[in-house]
Amino acid sequence: MNLQDFSLRRYRKRLLPLSILLLLVILSARVCGVSGEGLRSGIIKGYAFLGHLFPPDWAAFPEMIGPAFESVVIALLATFFGVFLSLCFALAAAANISYPWLRSLSRAFIAIERSLPEIIIVLILVAAFGLGPVPGMLALTLGCIGMLGKLFADAIEEIDIVTIEAIEAVGANKGQVIVFGVLPQIMPRVISYAMFRFEINIRLSVLLGAVGAGGIGYELDSAFNLLQYHRAFTALIVTLLLVFIIERLSGYLRKKIKVEGALK
Amino acid sequence: MLEVKNLTKTLPGGRKLLDGISFKVEKGEFVGILGPSGAGKTLTLRCLNGLLRPDGGSVLLNDGSNGVQDICKAGKRELRKMRRRIGVIFQGYHLVKRLSALENVMIGRLGEINTLRSILYGFTDKEAEEAFQALQNVKISHLAGSRIAGMSGGEMQRVAIARAIFQRPSLLLADEPISNLDPSNAKIIMKMIRPLAEQMPVIGVFHQPEMTAKYCTRVIAIKDGRIIYDGDPRLSNELLIEIYGEELRQIEQAPLALRVDEHHELHTTDAMIHKIRDHEPTGL
Repeated sequence: MNLQDFSLRRYRKRLLPLSILLLLVILSARVCGVSGEGLRSGIIKGYAFLGHLFPPDWAAFPEMIGPAFESVVIALLATFFGVFLSLCFALAAAANISYPWLRSLSRAFIAIERSLPEIIIVLILVAAFGLGPVPGMLALTLGCIGMLGKLFADAIEEIDIVTIEAIEAVGANKGQVIVFGVLPQIMPRVISYAMFRFEINIRLSVLLGAVGAGGIGYELDSAFNLLQYHRAFTALIVTLLLVFIIERLSGYLRKKIKVEGALK
Repeated sequence: MLEVKNLTKTLPGGRKLLDGISFKVEKGEFVGILGPSGAGKTLTLRCLNGLLRPDGGSVLLNDGSNGVQDICKAGKRELRKMRRRIGVIFQGYHLVKRLSALENVMIGRLGEINTLRSILYGFTDKEAEEAFQALQNVKISHLAGSRIAGMSGGEMQRVAIARAIFQRPSLLLADEPISNLDPSNAKIIMKMIRPLAEQMPVIGVFHQPEMTAKYCTRVIAIKDGRIIYDGDPRLSNELLIEIYGEELRQIEQAPLALRVDEHHELHTTDAMIHKIRDHEPTGL
């Protein structure tokens, strides 16, 4: 094999997957009916619509504070209950401390929950509880289990099992082993994941508001439906501010925890 | 008093790990178990506190107040009860890294404390004082409030001893307690374990014949799952060669103890991996 052959081979290695990918993209675009013309006219229309939004209706700003606060409270409550529930499921799902039958049961529930989008859950819950913040909060609480349950369970499976053995060796029961052996070891991760999930819950609570679960999302959606575009723009600005502030705050706190964990 | 009768453990393939281990230990004795890796020392020790169930034989514990009980036949609840009376010190310390030294000592008495109270960390002032006393006994009370992570091996092993003392056991087991420590820390730890034998039988697994000769009152040597020696802790060179094999004879220049030390270097790697893992950053 000479050098030229080698270069050709090298390119072929890159080209094959790329062309397959390209083919898939083109086929998918065909199926969805995406066309260059449609995109062009859509962008122009969208640009014109942005003009309708300006200027924001500042008079509506104070009215937005309440719903924004409601969104935060929904996310906060959902994260709190969600973390608690997820811990319970995670303890049942961890191979090193749970029973085999309980483990598969809990793992299965977590996996099923993870495959259900929050928006589906909230639609079911709205049918049950009616419109308002309660179904949104419950949906987000359940939504935590799929993600946090799995992350916590994996964290528990990684802990130092010999420590658990040592605590069992003094005659401690399961509850005591969990409180003294398991929880201290996973706590930094629990807090870090919980705050990450809180960020997600804030964004989701806005989204769920749009399907009737209260909060700033509900304001945004109803303003759009009533064609009050200036008001909708105000709601949009408040939403952006809210998400930005929360992410910054939670990111800062998570970083602090990480640094502390690294030092210890 | 502890009486071990005819312990056997066989692998599914038919290999005998324990082949009729029997011995008796009284209060006041500090027994060192010696033997090459894989001889069944640690296995024997794990049978003594019920972490491992042998195929046959019995481990009879008699501490006066509770009468004679067989740990090999105890049910789950009974086993938990019996374990309260058995303190264990491990090679890898096995402390909870994110809790303080004092909290780790308190773990020693979890078995006696009402579940709800312990889950809320509701230790009484008296218990806290006793735990602090236990740390004072091993001369490490100045670190009572510090987390375990960041302590040296010697410090961690002292906290582990304090945990065992605070547990008020009627039998103390030690699984290679000094194998991870430097020679001077190893001596300090042996000096701390030795007087505990006055209150309860102490049984330890060791890889250091020079240490057991100095601090133990009696040595049991195990090879291929059988006891091949039981008696005076000062072993003759011939006996050491019989225990550890001809390798010991081959390098004449180095002192005996040094070569036995090389032998167990393998064991310490496990503990080191744990340490590395604990220092990895966590979180997303």
